[in-house]
Amino acid sequence: MKILPPKIWRNKETQYSLTATQCQSCGAYTFPPRHVCNKCGSFKVTKKKLSGKGTLITFTYTHQVRTGFERDAPIYFGLIRLDEGIEIVAPLVDVDEEPKEGARVEAVFRKLRVDSHNGLIEYGTKFRLIDNEQRN
Amino acid sequence: MSEVFVTGASILKVDRYYENNIIDLAIGAISGLAEEISIVHPDILILANAYSESTTEQVLLSEKIASSLGLRVPAIRTEQGDASGGSAIFTAYSFLKSGIAKSVLIVGAEKLSDFPTNHLNDILAENLDEEYSYRIGMTQSSYAALQMKLYMKTYGVGYDYFAEWPYQMHKNASENHYAYLKFQVDKDTIMKSQIISDPIRLFDTAARADGAAAILLTNGELARKFSESKVKVENVYGSSFGYSMRELVAVREAWLPWRDFKPNFIEIHDSYSVIAAMILDEIGFERGKSLYNIADSQVNLSGGLKARGYPGGATGVYQLAEAYMQLTGTFKGKRAKNAERGAVVSTDDLGKVAYTIGLSR
Repeated sequence: MKILPPKIWRNKETQYSLTATQCQSCGAYTFPPRHVCNKCGSFKVTKKKLSGKGTLITFTYTHQVRTGFERDAPIYFGLIRLDEGIEIVAPLVDVDEEPKEGARVEAVFRKLRVDSHNGLIEYGTKFRLIDNEQRN
Repeated sequence: MSEVFVTGASILKVDRYYENNIIDLAIGAISGLAEEISIVHPDILILANAYSESTTEQVLLSEKIASSLGLRVPAIRTEQGDASGGSAIFTAYSFLKSGIAKSVLIVGAEKLSDFPTNHLNDILAENLDEEYSYRIGMTQSSYAALQMKLYMKTYGVGYDYFAEWPYQMHKNASENHYAYLKFQVDKDTIMKSQIISDPIRLFDTAARADGAAAILLTNGELARKFSESKVKVENVYGSSFGYSMRELVAVREAWLPWRDFKPNFIEIHDSYSVIAAMILDEIGFERGKSLYNIADSQVNLSGGLKARGYPGGATGVYQLAEAYMQLTGTFKGKRAKNAERGAVVSTDDLGKVAYTIGLSR
């Protein structure tokens, strides 16, 4: 059993609304959110919902995946610079043609995996291409 | 402050040991130090292991190993992913330097070959943050692939640049008695091998397998009981940093104190060809060119994770044992020229954590 309701529940802001923390001292974002800034160490942080809009820096096409993700294979994973300036890695979905570096992307709410033992489904954030123009 | 010496080292061939469990492997490695530990009773046992909860459904392994040996001493386990070996050495060095212990037995042990690839990918993904990266299905090789693409763009190198690494590692491992993949490969085979996560191919990844290695570290007084030509641990440094796609800050910081050490040979944690390049870039090789002429650099004479094999959290203990054997002229493989000083860089597989160890004789 890999998917447990308490774990999904406490991650709801991270996975369902792409929430980070922003440092009140230095302004840096931390994602996944923590009660401390990973740049300056300040504990004065506030939660901030990220825009979910960004630019694709680069991507990989992963053929060798993990147990529970076989049905999605091969999977595109993108390195994305969100408009807030932070970089995150995320699966890319609805990809009809090979992504281009510099393409605009946006977050979407999608199924992540299904627990084969108890049937629970875990949902979370993936990204899709808004346009697929090379910009660099 | 006490000085610290490597008094003995023992390693098992990295391999698939379907007939043996993790305690069998640990004891197998320690048995190679039977003479040493009969003379020097270890004050502390440290187990370096990263994945036992998931791979063997076991905790409290250090106690189980100690009690199997009849050692009624403090027995602890260090876990820092693949850098567990480096952290065990750091811990042992600290105990000896402070005088808390006069002798410490380090054993690194890991079982990775019992599982199909996808399941092992899932276990190794426990290195990722739990809330987000693990849950979205990321793999370690996906991260390394993104790092590799950024590296290629930054330095204007193609895939052939990275093929230099597995080519040389297999060449080195072909002479190593303890290597898992004891054969040479040509560059064409490397460049046409299976794609794992584009642009990472099979030959860019570490050869996951089982293994165990043991080291006896002692203070100077006990080291003199064995030999006058001692191998001294000059120091151990460590650093931690978060994920960084473009640089390995922890490696850079842990290497900084060794700037003037000038080791004759180095063992690094080459979990992926790109990680090998990034580590070498951080420890003073020319950035973006570190994999060229690697044959002349005396790096990973063992064949590295790529070909000696990758025994998870035990890897750092293997690296130190191999460095000790180079300095004592007992390594059953490619020997370092002018082996007076050696260094080990022990990291997790994406370089978030680093330990650096300097040895001299």
